[in-house]
Amino acid sequence: MTGFLSPDEIALGDRFVADQWLILPVEDADALARIRDRTAALAAGHLGMPLPNDPQHFLDRIGDRVGPARLNDLRLAVIQGLNAESWFRTSYHALARRALSTVVGNELAMQRTVGLSVQLPGDDSSLLPLHCDVWDGDSPYEVVLWLPLVDCLRTKSMCILPPAANARACAGLKGFADRTVDDLFASVEQDLVWLDVPYGHFLLFSQNLLHGNRVNLEPATRWSMNCRFKSLFSPYADKRLGEFFEPITLRAATRLGLDFRFPDGFHD
Amino acid sequence: MTEAFGYRGYIGSRSYFGQNPPQHVQNLVIRDFCRRKGFDFLLSATEYAMPGCHMMLNQVLTELPVVQGIVLYSLFMLPRDTEKRRAIYRRVIDSGASLHGAVESQSIHGAADAARVEDIWLIRMALPHCPTNL
Repeated sequence: MTGFLSPDEIALGDRFVADQWLILPVEDADALARIRDRTAALAAGHLGMPLPNDPQHFLDRIGDRVGPARLNDLRLAVIQGLNAESWFRTSYHALARRALSTVVGNELAMQRTVGLSVQLPGDDSSLLPLHCDVWDGDSPYEVVLWLPLVDCLRTKSMCILPPAANARACAGLKGFADRTVDDLFASVEQDLVWLDVPYGHFLLFSQNLLHGNRVNLEPATRWSMNCRFKSLFSPYADKRLGEFFEPITLRAATRLGLDFRFPDGFHD
Repeated sequence: MTEAFGYRGYIGSRSYFGQNPPQHVQNLVIRDFCRRKGFDFLLSATEYAMPGCHMMLNQVLTELPVVQGIVLYSLFMLPRDTEKRRAIYRRVIDSGASLHGAVESQSIHGAADAARVEDIWLIRMALPHCPTNL
């Protein structure tokens, strides 16, 4: 099976297979700005504040205005507001349309609601322990499109275990049967890579790799979004088509195929 | 010392006794249980899908000093090993917290509750071996 993919597609695919993540510039800067600005506007509205002049600075410094106790209410208000916007998911997909098409396919299922993570500096109440989503009911055919709305560097970002170390950790996982996820984290901590993803870029990664976050030790707040994509006709796991995923790029020939009916009325 | 606050949800991503409801449905049941009990709900931890794995439950149990209790979607998500279950009951009770099964609406605050739940567990384990028609 050679010669069917373009050199660019082969190069990107090879990178993804080797590393199982990609950090690339967003493909639609206007869509990103719209998402970030609406996020800031919704956050300001929830806090009873005027529209910020500098949305990115406002998001970075949200910790000056809200503490951990009110953070989840703010997060929910913002993400529910965004998911209610008719343009939101289309814009989110546009951020990585070509990369998704190359890495995943051109007939895609997209998570129905995009997720939002807000992590204040020093806050340990909204951490995501080390995990593989595949272990939590996701299909190994899914990828996550992770989008920072601010510069996400070092502990303000997320960490991931590279494929070779991940394979070793999975092979030894049964040794943790009576232990905790923190024990697992400690055993792989030296191999974890913190992914620096500046604003204007996205991270596309396989959730077959262990990943998570820790306390944000940077001075500003992390704002990041996540959304899963998969090939429409690849196997689903616990996150099912209809309730969790929905088709977004159904192609014409597939539509014809789905509608096709053989002539009937014949009997042996 | 931090004062204990809230009830940690615990949902699954595999089948337990043939039951595997969608995760958002499990969370709805837990949230409804917490609302009826007047509990402050803390976002659920999700157990790994590998059969017999309770690493996430073990992780949640380490939170006992700082949470008021744990709300499982179902009590039947506890380990099938009787001694491991009993160790969990003891650990929860000894820490002054409580353990709940949202879909069964059963709670463990002390030894008597644990014994009652354990009876249910043992009967549930025996049911597949019982005649289904008489």
